[in-house]
Amino acid sequence: MSLLSLEAVHTYYGDSHILEGVSLEVDRGEVVALVGRNGVGKTTTLRTILQLTPPSEGQVWLRGEDITGADTHEVADAGVGWIPENRRIFSRLTVEENIHVAVPEGRNIDAARERAYETFPDLREHRHRDAGTLSGGQQQMLAIVRGLVGDNDLLLVDEPSEGLAPLIVSAVADALAATATETTVLLVEQNLPLALDLADRFYVLDDGQVVDSGDTNEVDDDDERFRRYLSA
Amino acid sequence: MAISPSDSADLTASLLLSYARDHVVHLLVIAVLAAYPGIYAIAVNSPLSAQAVAVLPRVETMVAVLYFGLFAISFDFVSGYTGYLSFGHTMFYGAGAYLVVLTANGKIPFLSASTPFVLLLVLCGLLAVILALLVGVVSFRLSGVYFAMITLGFSQVLYVFVRDWNYLGSNPRDGVAVTGRTAGFEIGIPGVDSASLAIGQLTGDTAELLGVVTLTTAEVSYYMVGLVVLICYFAMQRVIHSPFGRTLIAIRENEERARAIGYNTFYYKLGAFAISAFFAGTAGGLFAGYRRSVTPESGFYFLTTGDALLASIIGGFGTLAGPLYGHLFDESVREFLSKAGSGGGLLPYLRSNLGQGTLETVIYNGMTIGESIDVFLNGRAALYVGIVFVLFVLYVPNGLLGTVRGRLNGTVAKGFPMWFRQRLPDRDSDQSR
Repeated sequence: MSLLSLEAVHTYYGDSHILEGVSLEVDRGEVVALVGRNGVGKTTTLRTILQLTPPSEGQVWLRGEDITGADTHEVADAGVGWIPENRRIFSRLTVEENIHVAVPEGRNIDAARERAYETFPDLREHRHRDAGTLSGGQQQMLAIVRGLVGDNDLLLVDEPSEGLAPLIVSAVADALAATATETTVLLVEQNLPLALDLADRFYVLDDGQVVDSGDTNEVDDDDERFRRYLSA
Repeated sequence: MAISPSDSADLTASLLLSYARDHVVHLLVIAVLAAYPGIYAIAVNSPLSAQAVAVLPRVETMVAVLYFGLFAISFDFVSGYTGYLSFGHTMFYGAGAYLVVLTANGKIPFLSASTPFVLLLVLCGLLAVILALLVGVVSFRLSGVYFAMITLGFSQVLYVFVRDWNYLGSNPRDGVAVTGRTAGFEIGIPGVDSASLAIGQLTGDTAELLGVVTLTTAEVSYYMVGLVVLICYFAMQRVIHSPFGRTLIAIRENEERARAIGYNTFYYKLGAFAISAFFAGTAGGLFAGYRRSVTPESGFYFLTTGDALLASIIGGFGTLAGPLYGHLFDESVREFLSKAGSGGGLLPYLRSNLGQGTLETVIYNGMTIGESIDVFLNGRAALYVGIVFVLFVLYVPNGLLGTVRGRLNGTVAKGFPMWFRQRLPDRDSDQSR
C-alpha cells in the first residue's frame, strides 16, 4: 500500500481544467520529484492533495484511506506537511512564533525549536525578529524548518530553490536531504539537477497529465525524456 | 535545594521588578489616565482656563471614550487579528445595552430589576457570545467582503427589529430609557455597599477621597468604568499573547497555510468572534449603565460599527490598545470642533475671547469675522473629522500605535524602555565599558 496515491484526479480553478486525470503514487520513505514546465499543474497537484482545491473527479488516498473532500486541517492532522512556494511564512509573527505555530499540539516545543535552530543556525540569531524582515534565503529556511518541526509523514515541498542564490540553494538542498532520511517527500522543483539529485523517482507533468515517470538512476538531467517537456 | 526566606524574598522582588519593567508602559498609561480628572480640574482652574476648556475633553466625554474605546478594542480583537472585518459588531454592543435597560425596566423574564450591575455586565457578555456563535456559524462560511456584508446584514436585521418591537418600550423607534429603577448602576463587589460605587451623570455616586478631594459623579463614573475597561483590556491582551492569539495572526497572514499546518481555522475564527463579542457586549452594558438609555441608532445601527472602525484605523489596526487612543483622538477632535457651548471647544472659545470689535469686523462683502467663524465651525465637526480620517488613511496607514510600534520595532511595552535606555546620559555606558 502506498503512502499516497492519486487516482485519475481532475481539478478545476473555476472554469479552467488544470489537472486532467493525474495518477501518481508515493511510497513510504521515498523522495519523489514532480517536474514540468510552469503552469502545467505541479502546484495544483500539491493543493489537490491538501484539499485546498479539492478535485472534482478522482480520488486521493492517504495510507489507503480516501481523503478526497476532507478538510485541509484534517489532511494536515493526518501527517501531511506543506512547504509552500514563495516562502509563505507568517510575516508579522517572529521567527520563533512561526516555529511555535507549526508544532502540533501536545508535542515538545523546545525540542522542535532546538531542532529547527540546529538545522539552520542562522535562524537562532534572528529568532525575535518579525519573519517578514528576513532575507529571502532566511525566509525559505524558516519555511522549510516549519515543515520539519511538524513531525509529518509526508512533506509536500513546492519550489524550494525558487529565487534563491546558489549558495543558499545548496544549504536548502542539504536540509531537504537530511529531512528525506526521516520522512517521505513529494518535491516540486524546476531545478532539474537538484530534483534528480534529491529524488528516488520522478514524474513529468505536462498540460495537466503525467507524461513520463521513472527511476532517477536511469536518467540524467539532459536526457531526451526531459528535453521534450522541460525546455521552454 | 531549600530556598531560604531571603532568597525567596529576593526572587519575589526580582519577579515583581521584571513584571513592572515589562509593564512600565502600561503603568504609565494607566497613571496618566488615572490622573486625567485631576489634571483637567487643575487646568480649567488655572490662568489658562479658557484654553484648557476649549482643548481638553471633559471628564464626561472621557467616560464615553472609555466604554466606547472598549467596544472599539473588541472590534479590533476580531477584525484586526483575524482579518475578518466584523461589520455588524454593533449588534453585540446593542444587545448588551438593551439587556441592561430592559432588565432595569423589568422586561426580561427571570431577571429582577435590581440584579447587580456587575453580574448584569457578565450576562451582557454572555448574551453577545450566544449571538456571536449563531451569527458566526453562518458567517464564517464566507470570507473577505462577503463576511463583512453578511454580519452587517445580521446587525441591520436586529436594528429594524428593535426599532419596531413594541414590547421594548412605548416608542421603540426613539429608544428605551431606564424607568423601572431610580438607583444608579453600581460597579464593585455585589452586595457590599462600601465596595461599590454607582455610575451615571445624575444617578451616580460622589465620593470623598482621603477627606480632601470630592469626586463628582462624572469622575466616579470615569474611574469605575475605567476599572472594568482595564480588566477587559488585560483579559484580551492575555488571549492575544497566548498560542491562540498567535494562531489568529497566522490566520490573518495566510489562512490556507494555517489550515495546512493543521488548524481548524473555522473554530479559531468562531472563538475569536465569541471572545470579542463578549467584550463588545460588556461595553454596551457599560454604555447603557452610564447613559441609562439606548436607541436603535446608538445600539444597532451600522454607523456605530463605523465609529469603531474609525477608531481602529486612527489608532492602529491589530494593535489592541490602539483603538482606545484612536477613539480618544476622534472624540477630542469632535468635541474641539463641536458647537456645544457647555463643553468648550473652538467655536465658543473664539466667540467669547475674540472681542466684540473683532467679531463684527467685515472681511468680505458684508460678512463679518463672527459670521465666517460660524460658517466654518458651527456643526461642521463631521466634515473635519472626515478630512482627518482621509489624511490618516493616506499618511498614517498603520494608525497611531501601529506607527509607533513600527518605529520601535515591536510593542511599545518592549521597545520604549529600550529606546529610553539608549537615550540615558552616559552614566550607564561608562559602567559598561
